Amino acid sequence: MGSRNFPLHFFVRLSLVVSLSLVASAQKPAPEDIVFSGATVMTASHGTIEHGAVWVHAGKIAGVGTSVSAPATAVQVDATGMWMTPGIIDPHSHSALDGDVNEATSPVTPSMHMIDAFDNRSADLYRALAGGVTTELLLHGSANMIGGQAVVIKNKFGLDRDAMLFPNAPGSIKFASGENPKRVYGSRDQLPSTRMGNFEVMRMAFEDARHYMAEWDAYDAKVKKGDKDLVPPKRDLKLEALADVLRGKLYVQIHCYRADEFLTEEAIAKEYGYKIRAFHHALEMYKVAPEIAADGTAIATFADWWGYKDEARDAIPWNAVMSMRKGVRVALKSDSDDHIRRLNAEAGKMVHYGGATEDEAIKMVTLNPAWIIGVEDRVGSIDVGKDADIVLWNHDPLSNYARAMKVYIDGELFFDASATGWGTTHFTGVMHDGGDFGSEDQEDGQ
Amino acid sequence: MRLLKPIAASVVLLSSCVALAQSHPAASSQTIAITGGKLLTVSHGTIENGVLVIADGKIAAVGAAASVKVPSGAQIIDAKGMTVYPGLIDPETNFGLTEISADEETNDLEERSDEIMPHMHVADAFHAETDLIPVARLNGITNAVVAPASSDTIAGQDLFIQLYGNRQQMMLGNDVALAMNYGAEQRRRGGRGEGGRSKYPSTRMGLITELRQTFLDTQAYMAKKDAPAKKPDSDFKRDLKYEALIPYLRGERPVVIGVYESYDVETIMKLAADFHLKVILNHVTHSQEVLDEIAAYKVPVIIGSIYDAPRANERYDAVYSLPAQLAKRGVKIAISSADAGGPVSSHSSRNLPFAAGMAVAYGLPYDDALKAITLNVAEMFGFGDKLGSLDVGKTANVVIANGDPLDVRTDVKHVFIQGMDVPQVSRQTKLRDEYK
Repeated sequence: MGSRNFPLHFFVRLSLVVSLSLVASAQKPAPEDIVFSGATVMTASHGTIEHGAVWVHAGKIAGVGTSVSAPATAVQVDATGMWMTPGIIDPHSHSALDGDVNEATSPVTPSMHMIDAFDNRSADLYRALAGGVTTELLLHGSANMIGGQAVVIKNKFGLDRDAMLFPNAPGSIKFASGENPKRVYGSRDQLPSTRMGNFEVMRMAFEDARHYMAEWDAYDAKVKKGDKDLVPPKRDLKLEALADVLRGKLYVQIHCYRADEFLTEEAIAKEYGYKIRAFHHALEMYKVAPEIAADGTAIATFADWWGYKDEARDAIPWNAVMSMRKGVRVALKSDSDDHIRRLNAEAGKMVHYGGATEDEAIKMVTLNPAWIIGVEDRVGSIDVGKDADIVLWNHDPLSNYARAMKVYIDGELFFDASATGWGTTHFTGVMHDGGDFGSEDQEDGQ
Repeated sequence: MRLLKPIAASVVLLSSCVALAQSHPAASSQTIAITGGKLLTVSHGTIENGVLVIADGKIAAVGAAASVKVPSGAQIIDAKGMTVYPGLIDPETNFGLTEISADEETNDLEERSDEIMPHMHVADAFHAETDLIPVARLNGITNAVVAPASSDTIAGQDLFIQLYGNRQQMMLGNDVALAMNYGAEQRRRGGRGEGGRSKYPSTRMGLITELRQTFLDTQAYMAKKDAPAKKPDSDFKRDLKYEALIPYLRGERPVVIGVYESYDVETIMKLAADFHLKVILNHVTHSQEVLDEIAAYKVPVIIGSIYDAPRANERYDAVYSLPAQLAKRGVKIAISSADAGGPVSSHSSRNLPFAAGMAVAYGLPYDDALKAITLNVAEMFGFGDKLGSLDVGKTANVVIANGDPLDVRTDVKHVFIQGMDVPQVSRQTKLRDEYK
């Protein structure tokens, strides 16, 4: 179930931005080689190594085991008595957007790009970093059936905005159904005010996209035949983005809660020929998990949040583990500037609710969210060749007693709890207020 | 239909038994001995390999295995390898005042028509059969303070409950405290309910002046009410608002003041001192600058939410470490289950012990943390002689878990309330079992 291959041109926009950016850091460059020794290493992919050793070379993990053969010049970090995990990955955040979460002026807004709202100086990023979070998927909100396109960041707090983008990460787009779009548009007497309206809005949008694609296909065919005097069809950013969904160029991330909605969403995806990468929230997945597992769609869910709205009435804290046992790939996510600070302990709850093993629980906040974002070959586990995104904890990270003491991203130290002041290693200046956004669904509750 | 499947049918049977049990609960007459466990007494330390005896719904004996005789005929519960501790007490919830947060029809959180509403009794609205209570109980919460929401300066009077029994049995104390709030949230600054226009009091000056006038008016009322004893006064008419405030102005019952900012703490405490209120401070989330002053007030403090975000530019653990900072200064603290970003989220009450664990991670001594969700809460609200510790004579609200109660990974195995071994069943466990 590896990530789909995306055509090269898809990445051009992001990678250009990244390669042109200047890192305005006055910090010393990270050491070429680092060896961490003595920690309890929770790899997320191949179990836990007691008194493990991890060698980092040029920002990548170069060796993992009970010993490693690093050069003698390597910087030695004695992590005896500590726990090591891969960096925590949040597949559903609205942090650092200054409240610009929903372009709630139309139920179909696929050409919105969250990168345009990203505030790299937001204190929300800092607090998440202090909770061990190294990668986030910043999503559009759930007001719209088809919202905007996500941005994937590495939490290198203190670097320039573009230096915080996850290089070459695949694109994701946010969909939503259920109470939120119903309420937002229903309260204005607009379509959609019902679930019937919800799904028909999507189908109508995809019909438009198909027509648009056909126009361009016809034009391209004529050009190919040598017709030089043709006027090309008008480029339309909205339809272009929808066409990218139908072409399979964007991972589809869908906010929805109820079991019936998962089935309807899968049916529409099949009708129009795209795949759903993950259902977000997905609080009723335990009711239909085998069906959804068969479609290969993952979920990003809460550990134990419930009852804040009607479609969260049947939420149970065993949802994650029950769905996992029935074959669904399960991640936990924050959707909150609070929970993002302690996702490790949210994973710990899965030991309690349903008896997840330590490996399974850690995977829910590392490797599985990496898969949802489509970067599982790069981050999410302590394996040779992966980015050296590493957290050292002072306690078992599945306990709420654990504090992230040191956080490394690409082999570079970005947070050190033992340092005075903020504990940041790169940030200078003034942090920005987060934009007063706890969670889209907390906001809903009002 | 799934309900017709045999497994589900047994769930239905089980749940109907529970319903039956719930409709006729009483303090259990069964004598129970919990043996071999590690007892966290809260009041007098930890007892390894302890024995706790429950009789007539009360704790009849507590001590080391060698010193406590297990009564003959007692039902033995083997707690070897387990931890035994008093039922947890959540100092601020909305139990029975809300069901589905976003569904206004299920909410009786607060009377927003005026900001001075001391005559609102939470007890009048308490819906004992709420689904939220069994959910919290499964994690060892046995008692709670039910308070109104917080947008009024005087929002009403709190109810103290136990989380099992019929409605009357659950309501251990009506009107145990006055719920007050002070700060930005209470200003009438347009928005909801006011047609977008501000009305008095729209500033902190207005809020304080209005409170001061209310207390003066109540004192005048009290004087007038007492006068007929000397000279009959046919003009005297009972006023429920003033009546409600009398016990608080006499200092007979506590006033819980929800306040966040340091300068607001100083302002409201000046007013409280002028009227000799018996204060419990609540939140004090952004009051790091005045912790020494708070200690000097010699009042107890409820911290919640411990997860509230610090201000931008503050260190990430500025609020996580608040319980430790206050305890270090000798303040009696309680910790509530509130989620971040809102006053209360009773759906999360089951996470109360984990908030206390978070405080331990950031420097609060373990014993203080456990006390902050048991004995200290009981004492603050007038139940210190009945609840909050494993002591002979107290109500047998006792929890058995397979590990450290403050750790998220721990499983609660038994919850005793008034000596009854309450079935570990909630609407959520029924759904879990139906779809297993």
